[in-house]
Amino acid sequence: MSGRSLPSMIMVAIAAAAVGAVIATSITPTSGQAPAPAARVARVGGKPNFSGIWQANNEANWNLQAHGALPAAVTQQGIYPYDYARVPAAPVLALGAAGAVPGSLGVVQGDGQIPYKPEALATKRENADHWIDRDPELKCYLPGIPRAMYMPFPFQITQSTNKIHMAYEFSNTARTVHLDKVEGPPDDTWMGHSVGHWDGDTLVVDVTNFNDRTWFDRAGNYHSDALHLTERFTMISPDVIRYDVTIEDPKVYTRPWRIVMPLYRRAEPNIQLLEFRCNEFVEEFMYGSLRKQQLVKHWEGDTMTVDITRKVPPGDAFYQWYGR
Amino acid sequence: MRNRFLSPTIKAALGAAAAATVIAIFMAPTSAQAPAAASLKTPWGEPDLQGIWTDETATPLQRSPKYANQEFFTPGQRTELDQQRAAMLGRDKRVERGTELDVAGAYNAQFASVKRTGARTSMIVDPANGRVPPMTPEAQKVAAADRQFRLALLQATETCKNKSVACNGGKYDPKPSPRLAELAPRYNTARMNRFDGPEDGALPDRCLTAGLPELGGVSFRRIVQTPNGISMFYDVGQGQGWQRNIVMNASPHLPADIRQWYGDSRGHWEGNTLVIDVTNFSPKTDVQGSRENLHLVERWTRTGPNSLEYAVTMEDPTVWTRSWTVKQEFTKQSEQQNRIYYEPRCNEGNYGLPGLMHGLRTQEADFAHGKGPHPATKDIATDFVGVEDDPLQ
Repeated sequence: MSGRSLPSMIMVAIAAAAVGAVIATSITPTSGQAPAPAARVARVGGKPNFSGIWQANNEANWNLQAHGALPAAVTQQGIYPYDYARVPAAPVLALGAAGAVPGSLGVVQGDGQIPYKPEALATKRENADHWIDRDPELKCYLPGIPRAMYMPFPFQITQSTNKIHMAYEFSNTARTVHLDKVEGPPDDTWMGHSVGHWDGDTLVVDVTNFNDRTWFDRAGNYHSDALHLTERFTMISPDVIRYDVTIEDPKVYTRPWRIVMPLYRRAEPNIQLLEFRCNEFVEEFMYGSLRKQQLVKHWEGDTMTVDITRKVPPGDAFYQWYGR
Repeated sequence: MRNRFLSPTIKAALGAAAAATVIAIFMAPTSAQAPAAASLKTPWGEPDLQGIWTDETATPLQRSPKYANQEFFTPGQRTELDQQRAAMLGRDKRVERGTELDVAGAYNAQFASVKRTGARTSMIVDPANGRVPPMTPEAQKVAAADRQFRLALLQATETCKNKSVACNGGKYDPKPSPRLAELAPRYNTARMNRFDGPEDGALPDRCLTAGLPELGGVSFRRIVQTPNGISMFYDVGQGQGWQRNIVMNASPHLPADIRQWYGDSRGHWEGNTLVIDVTNFSPKTDVQGSRENLHLVERWTRTGPNSLEYAVTMEDPTVWTRSWTVKQEFTKQSEQQNRIYYEPRCNEGNYGLPGLMHGLRTQEADFAHGKGPHPATKDIATDFVGVEDDPLQ
């Protein structure tokens, strides 16, 4: 379990703990009176208590692998023919810098490569080229595991003695980690079937029964229905979990591979999960072409072509100056 | 517009029919082994509400006039009702073959769950007559306007021509109503005889089954506790479900401008009872006409090794003339069989919603080319032969 990132994980943990302490003293709820946080219980049933609201604070949902920053999630060739000179393309062009992709050192352990079989690597590249058409996240489909763990949304762990429940803000989904004996699901699943046990103070979760429809990130990294995860949760400070996942899928990869990342406690005293019921948000994206009177005017068949409109705000001094 | 408590399973039928079979299998009534009484507290000393819970019996929301002065059924009445209702199980009731109503009844009794008759004549225990209290005059006007709009959209259909109950209060007119071009009087939550866009669909057709209170015919909730924390996951069938993470830190509700489908749940313990106050509902939800002003007070009490009492008081002075209270008795389900479905994957397989819209666009194009009837002469809003036959209702 001594991945190359362990020392840096510890550094991050220390830094995060320090930041956490600052946040705890400097943030007060913006509404109403300050709630009185109950004293946190360190252990449940003799085991570390992971209960609380957590969030990964990284770029893994963009791409598990190391990558430099990109001008946009969707780009087109600029005036030069080079990959490094691409420019933002519709439909994210109008978002300006908000549509850009932050860089990352990646979370894949070892050489940082995902060991795709050759034909699977081709599929991954196609996925990346057709991100908007294919990424299940855009349709608000269930994110699957491990992706739900590092999407840019908080999730909540409620830890009991025989069950550990994980509720995700994205798409209102959840999973229960069974520490006791249960029957598996009658069919394959998006979120997997999670069975856990303790290895000392580390929670080990075996996740199986997946379908082949979820992705790992917005870069098109994917798996088949033979996916098998071994997750290891280790509390490395009261506010940081080391999340370590071994990923096996003999249909897609030549060997098992691992991702490791810290999960941080959301330290705001008034933190709670809010709703992000996104299937309502994507109705236009998915079904807009079927309206009697279309809201988006450029549906051709079931292809949506969106014109980008960007207006200079009236009274914008900068534009008025150079437009004279 | 149907009572949303009547049968979410049936209402959502077009959404993801395959899920219904799974639920039906799950419904075989088996209760968990009785744990020792000591397990009614968690190891850290809080009342233990954990497990998978469901109402194993059927009780109508409102009391039928047949049992006007009777809060509980007699044992004889329950036996008789069970016999009558068991006969519904294998029924494949048909009306005149090939008629619209016959086709609409393609979801027959096989798709419904028939559970044993419960002890009470109504889930409503307050007011004493077991009925939803009268609406305020203002709310009655809103409801009437909504009803009139829906009837207008239905007026050119066989349903009204045949004076079906679904057309009660309306009348047949072979000419489709000009109101087809209007917006619904308020944000739509139920089926209407039009599908110009997703918003014309009922919430369950859009995989937006509304949430609380959940009193449906086939629903499970799993409760997991930790010191000072409680999570619940609801499985309501048709691939729909949702989570609640009860805020237990005595803090005030969310700011009033944050509105949620499932509201904002804040709980505390009163003795052995978990009391949850729920507000901040979205105006897109609808409970018997109540929307963003709905206020719930739920009381969850473990009453025995395998039983849990759920009581919910609903108030909304803008809609009802007084508050009302519903009670249900939940039975613990086997942990090992794990009979709960965690995946609200309705959206992932919702062929019904685009299918309905695509069908309508095709019919409109045909009609424009003189090839078929005006789509509004077909009833896509009312449904299901024989549902009203349940002697409990």
